[in-house]
Amino acid sequence: MEKDARPSWDNPMQFVLACVSYAVGLGNVWRFPYLCQMHGGGGFMIPYIIMLVLEGIPLFYMELAIGQKMRLGSIGAWSAISPYLGGVGLASVVTSLYLCLYYNVINAWSFWYLFHSFQSVLPWAECPVNSNLTGYLEECEVATPTQYFFYRETLNISSSINENGPVHMGQALCLLLAWLIVYLFIVRGVKSTGKVVYFTATFPYVVLLIYLVRGFTLHGALNGVKYMFTPKLEQLANPQTWINAATQIFFSLGLGFGSLIAFASYNQHNNNFEKQAIVVSFINSGTSIFASIVTFSIYGFKATFNYESCLERVRVLLLNTFDLSEDAVSINNITEWITQLNQTYPDQIAGLGAKLESCDLEAELDTAVEGTGLAFIVYSEAIKNMPVSQFWSVLYFIMLLLLGMGSMLGNVTAIITPLSDFKILSRNLSNETINGLVCLFCLLLGFGFTTRSGNYWFTMFNEYGATFSLLFIVLIEIIAVIFVYGLKRFEKDIEDMLGHRPNWYWKIMWVAISPLLLVSLFIFYIVNYIQGGTPTYQAWDKDLGKSVVTEYPAFGQAFIGLLLVSSVSCVPLTALYVFCRRKQRGSSTHESTVPTLSSGV
Amino acid sequence: MLAKILFLLCLTHTSAQDLCKSDTDDGYKVRLSIKTALGDDAYTWNDSEQFLFKATLAFAMMQYMPEETFNLSNILICDETERVSFWFVVMSPQNQSQLIPKAEVENAVRKSRNRINSAFLLTDKTLEFVGIPPTFAAPVVYTTPPWLIVFGVVIGAVCAGIVAILISTFIQKSRKTKEKENDLVSDEETMRSVGNGMAGLGDKDGVYNQSFVDDDRFTKL
Repeated sequence: MEKDARPSWDNPMQFVLACVSYAVGLGNVWRFPYLCQMHGGGGFMIPYIIMLVLEGIPLFYMELAIGQKMRLGSIGAWSAISPYLGGVGLASVVTSLYLCLYYNVINAWSFWYLFHSFQSVLPWAECPVNSNLTGYLEECEVATPTQYFFYRETLNISSSINENGPVHMGQALCLLLAWLIVYLFIVRGVKSTGKVVYFTATFPYVVLLIYLVRGFTLHGALNGVKYMFTPKLEQLANPQTWINAATQIFFSLGLGFGSLIAFASYNQHNNNFEKQAIVVSFINSGTSIFASIVTFSIYGFKATFNYESCLERVRVLLLNTFDLSEDAVSINNITEWITQLNQTYPDQIAGLGAKLESCDLEAELDTAVEGTGLAFIVYSEAIKNMPVSQFWSVLYFIMLLLLGMGSMLGNVTAIITPLSDFKILSRNLSNETINGLVCLFCLLLGFGFTTRSGNYWFTMFNEYGATFSLLFIVLIEIIAVIFVYGLKRFEKDIEDMLGHRPNWYWKIMWVAISPLLLVSLFIFYIVNYIQGGTPTYQAWDKDLGKSVVTEYPAFGQAFIGLLLVSSVSCVPLTALYVFCRRKQRGSSTHESTVPTLSSGV
Repeated sequence: MLAKILFLLCLTHTSAQDLCKSDTDDGYKVRLSIKTALGDDAYTWNDSEQFLFKATLAFAMMQYMPEETFNLSNILICDETERVSFWFVVMSPQNQSQLIPKAEVENAVRKSRNRINSAFLLTDKTLEFVGIPPTFAAPVVYTTPPWLIVFGVVIGAVCAGIVAILISTFIQKSRKTKEKENDLVSDEETMRSVGNGMAGLGDKDGVYNQSFVDDDRFTKL
């Protein structure tokens, strides 16, 4: 009789919603639209769906199967498959730890923006005035108000990773709040997480739907949607398109962190995870496409707004230079006027020089942004131009928070579940204490990201902390399951849980296609890293008002190496450790087995 | 005699007009964008509007220099264009041929900018004095920034939630341990009859290595 039965989800729906909430995250909103735009619009769907079928769903299914069968977190599950492979689980935990550290900083920013939306004029709508009230602050003049608000007021960013500064109090408070909320959601483990995911998984869709309607009714939105979705099929010939599709599917589903194994470990033994795996993967991809429609309509609105502002500025410039009457030049006949004036007053037109901007709608649409720049700069710029902008701002940042929090639930569960599997810890400390200590630890380390150079460290973690290690981990995972554990034994376990064996599609994917894809992605990453030369980052130059590509200094590069090595090396080091322990024990176990057998009789 | 007076009057008039010209050192260019500001309600720029402008400017000069009395004739306007832009200069009331220096005119305009704007239903952007930067409204200084208030509310609610959950967990646990104590007393009596077999395995926390379970030995019935 078990004293503490393993906690479980109240019903299978909670598990599905937890997986959806975890997989559907910020990457669906800010990475997929960028890729879609860069790689041929609507045509990108083809490699995306193909990679989903070849790589995403089989690997997702495999992780769920392992978790549900072993009923342990990542460390315990992989140790059970083979004691030498406990390092895979440990590597997952280390990678999840890195992710937890920096991911919640994004939630802290979302909170900051959310709280600042409760003002009559959004603070990123206008530049602040300088000290003698004659003009705007210089840094804000050179950049845009939204960029100024993000880089100066939100981050107070320094000009390079070398220069550090004190902790930004507002950011620190928001980070504290973010971790308190995460703790509130996971304090009772699966029991509390299961209730929260009903909200975090579904409400973002409500907001996306509202934004879809709002987006389509904005002036110029259809320009964006049409432009972005027009397929440029020649991009399919570019290998980079396929590589990006594969990596996007891989990271978007959150494979390799151990979160899926952790979630599945709380399932009932006979839960039908095959259907659930397919459903969650398709929901995740569908959300990406849905979010990109919304993003493109917002892009279209913003591009049209900027284009028309540009035309208006040119119109006023012509009026002022040539003292023409106000209704002579309208937005429609600007080009005719310019050609006409060029013939009659060529010197004056030449004298205007750079002030006479050439306004191009396509150039505005072509500006492709991804990541935090898209979420916090481009989107807030579009929002400030909407009517009732405070409401839209609040709604948008609540959606970002829900997406981010939902993913954090999975990330933290990936750390907590293996920890609570360790009997030493769970016997002496209650679950709530373990969870609290993990959150506290991550919070204290996370304060490092709120310093003045914190954003540069954030970018480093974002690019190097979890990308390469995950590919390595999942590659080892699939090799371990198919070749170490054995495909036959795996099939039998699945039959035991589901009632039928996996069909030929799954088997072909696991044995051949997915490992092949992973190996090629892995090789591509290594080649890219070597070819890329010194790793660089974007440093904010406050005099120029834009980001400048800068090389990482020596300690930065060393830290990148440390990030990569620390998670990857867990696998061989643990295998070595277990090997040594077994050798040590090998001689002593022979003596101890005899007495235990006799006491059992 | 009459001719002489007429001639002198013409001379002073033309010499006064000479003072006002484009790119003059002591004057400013004004630009109005009436149609942009008012759209359909725009008024046309005519002599009476010009009169109003001279009057408001005289008012501004008098506000700035209360000891002097400015008249409409002290404000000269020239070089009007279709844009509705023109140059103006301000003559000193004492000496008709001397102009008020640029800096003083600028200060006067800046001091009464709001009044000048509202006389024409325009704003700093649509009634431009080229070369005089508009004075921005002083930034609003809050005693408590509004974001901190919202933050305080949210973090208070979250802390309350955490405390509530921890307390309820604690209460549940203390109830469970009380029940277990009552159960253990009745269990101990039944345990003695079962024997040693269960006790030996129950205490040892061996690792149950599921990968080496060979289910094939058990036939499915």
